[in-house]
Amino acid sequence: MIDDRIKAQLRRIVGPENFLESDLDRFGYSYDASFVPLNLKHLPDVVVRPATTQEVSLIMKIAQDNSLPVTPRGAASGRTGGSIPLAHGISLSLDRMQKILELDEENMMVTVEAGVRTAEVYNFCAARGLFYPPDPASSKFSTIGGNIAENAGGIRAVKYGVTKNYVMGLEVVLADGSIIHTGGKAIKNVTGYDLTSLFVGSEGTLGIITKAILRLLPLPKRQHTIQITFRNLHESCLMVYEMLRSSIIPTAAELMDSVSLKAVLAHRNMDLEPGVEACLIVEIDGNEEEEMRRQTEGISQLAHSHEALSFKVAQNEEEAEKIWSLRRGVSSALAALAPDRIGEDISVPRAAFPEAVLRIREIAMKYNLTIAVYGHAGDGNLHPSILGDLSDPAVSRRIHGAIEEIFDVALSLGGTLSGEHGIGITKKPFFRKAVGEKGEAIHRAIKEALDPKGILNPGKIW
Amino acid sequence: MNFLKQAQNIVKACDRCGTCLTVCPLFTLNGIERTSARGKNSIIRAFAAGLIPEMKEAQRALDYCLLCRACVDICPAHIQTDEAVIFLRHYLASNSGGPPLRYRLMGKILKNRPIMRVMGHFFSLWRAGKNNLLRRKYLTALAGPALLGRKTLPSTVTPRHTDKVAFFEGCGMKFIFPAVAEKTKRLLQATTGNFLTPENMCCGLPHLAHGLIEDFIKLAQRNMELFSSADIIVTDCASCGSTLKHLARFVPGEEAKNFADRVMDITEYLVKVGYVPRKRGNLPLTYHDPCHLARGQGITKEPRALLKQVGDFREMAGANECCGGAGSFCFEYPKAAKLILERKERNIAQTGAEVVVTACPGCLIQLSRLSISACHISEII
Repeated sequence: MIDDRIKAQLRRIVGPENFLESDLDRFGYSYDASFVPLNLKHLPDVVVRPATTQEVSLIMKIAQDNSLPVTPRGAASGRTGGSIPLAHGISLSLDRMQKILELDEENMMVTVEAGVRTAEVYNFCAARGLFYPPDPASSKFSTIGGNIAENAGGIRAVKYGVTKNYVMGLEVVLADGSIIHTGGKAIKNVTGYDLTSLFVGSEGTLGIITKAILRLLPLPKRQHTIQITFRNLHESCLMVYEMLRSSIIPTAAELMDSVSLKAVLAHRNMDLEPGVEACLIVEIDGNEEEEMRRQTEGISQLAHSHEALSFKVAQNEEEAEKIWSLRRGVSSALAALAPDRIGEDISVPRAAFPEAVLRIREIAMKYNLTIAVYGHAGDGNLHPSILGDLSDPAVSRRIHGAIEEIFDVALSLGGTLSGEHGIGITKKPFFRKAVGEKGEAIHRAIKEALDPKGILNPGKIW
Repeated sequence: MNFLKQAQNIVKACDRCGTCLTVCPLFTLNGIERTSARGKNSIIRAFAAGLIPEMKEAQRALDYCLLCRACVDICPAHIQTDEAVIFLRHYLASNSGGPPLRYRLMGKILKNRPIMRVMGHFFSLWRAGKNNLLRRKYLTALAGPALLGRKTLPSTVTPRHTDKVAFFEGCGMKFIFPAVAEKTKRLLQATTGNFLTPENMCCGLPHLAHGLIEDFIKLAQRNMELFSSADIIVTDCASCGSTLKHLARFVPGEEAKNFADRVMDITEYLVKVGYVPRKRGNLPLTYHDPCHLARGQGITKEPRALLKQVGDFREMAGANECCGGAGSFCFEYPKAAKLILERKERNIAQTGAEVVVTACPGCLIQLSRLSISACHISEII
């Protein structure tokens, strides 16, 4: 509990309308988009919504002086419980820090506050011919601060990489309220440790990210979307690797297995064509029509040499949208099939993708569960989705058994627990297995150095 | 029928992704989670699971909703948050002594034709004066398209010249905008040789909104009798149209379905019969989509097609965002309604339009507060 004197101080900093303490208001800040069930034990004591770095700094000073836990929050669209205030205390919502501060067209960089929605960064830059590539599925509503704290990925990762590849510098408020600036606009910078990278993906445990300088690219002029179906999942993966080895780097290569396809089609009262075992959505971009034609033809040839059943190039934006809606519809179509959908996020070396899918199928058989697999075939990041009812103890045991084995598969294939969602709460029990004892000790030592009182997002990662 | 269970069944598919956060007109005002559709779904889920014992606060949170369905339209799982909110409102109301007295009283008045006629005279007096407070109060009766369920399909009726076309005159149009209703009648007379004007009853939306479901069914049955000889039933009120088209959800039997199938919005009807509006020079105008027309009935193209023939039509940003009128909402939460209207005003101003056109008396009252002129589509085509 936070005493009234401290509450009054916090209220003064952010103003009464941005200080929430009623039961129902606090309840709204107790969950995120993970499968962690709603739980009154996760309520913060208060919610504060600062508008400036100065306010964040003052809040952190008070928290540090009084050893109050602080859980930063953007849009609470995270999938692993990162913004759930496990230890109560202060829920620090950065959603009011929504300014795009500067667009430096000469250096092709944009400086933004943490609460700006990622799609807004994209749109703002795109309107000026510049391109911020990372596009997590949540980009329309998630905040850039949250994307950086989780090092979010997205479908364009195969060609353009993930959030960390675009963060040039950060403004961070540390646990004691001091404000630091890491990195900057210089492209080459080897002065000391790479502190920027340290904070990217730190899940709110090392500091509060308040501003970021992001690197931009020129916006490609053209984009094509292609849908290919296969009778064999393995062949579809092989096709992706061959495509990447040739000079065709797609912006996206998204794969859906037959379970995912059936779910999304059933949602629309449609049947899956007989014999289809996999569907691949490929997106390519470029500037010249000739370049686009060359890529499309190359992909078409590869598709046919891998026994593709169908090959379709979207002729206009509407058709492209229709193809993408299949992929975007998967997660909710699966969610509609069972009371709970546990979406995992393992990442394996690209070449191990088919092997990982096969082993996940075996796990599904062993535990008698429906597990759909879809994901980013181009970068080895898969999303096995386990369907079931977590409130049934027997089913819940089976689900948790399956999750553990899926993680084992990822690790044994040289991969890891999470490609783009982070560890948060939901993958905590498996963290040590993934990074090793020494690895965990280093994490702890870094945490201790930056947050000796352990007030920043306690209870996360390990 | 267990309202709590029904609400729970709807929200259990919400996986809290956050897609709805960017479209809720209220959440974009204050950014507080409980205001959002995700927040409301979670409150309902927690309430049904017994996690939130305090009813009053939950009730307040669920009242703070325009029922505009913007969240339902964008939800990847199409979760009917609006319906869940209505079900829980019904549940909370029936567990705290039924609908408030003011709504029961209003329901009685709207059901009674002689009283309504007397009220009509009062309204004509008020219309003459500057005071529009009562107009506002009167419209508290209405609610968003939420209440009525999913978007209806376009009418499948193809008007023939021999069809008997009947006008369904909504209470809002009749008593607050009678001059507009006259214009609609003239439009109908011009397009059919067989025009009927049975003196209809209230569509029942206010009754449905506030838990007076038995009254709603009685009104519906009376209207079905009154319109039994009409081939096509046309209304110029988006809310009445949406209510009547959804009748079969609440009134059992073939007859309700048959009635609902014959209902058309005025714009839907005029486009179908190939009506060509009179050109009015290059008057710059824009259009505001009533929730009950765009998300209630899926009608967005027809009004625009008509307006493009009238003058210099300019699309505004956020045309289908609720204007903040939302039936009783603007009365219960005037501050929020004003902020939403201000946003609408900025969007209208950006188009440079001199007139904002709409197709619902509820919106028209709200939009009449703007400095720019607002009118019903029947007045301009």
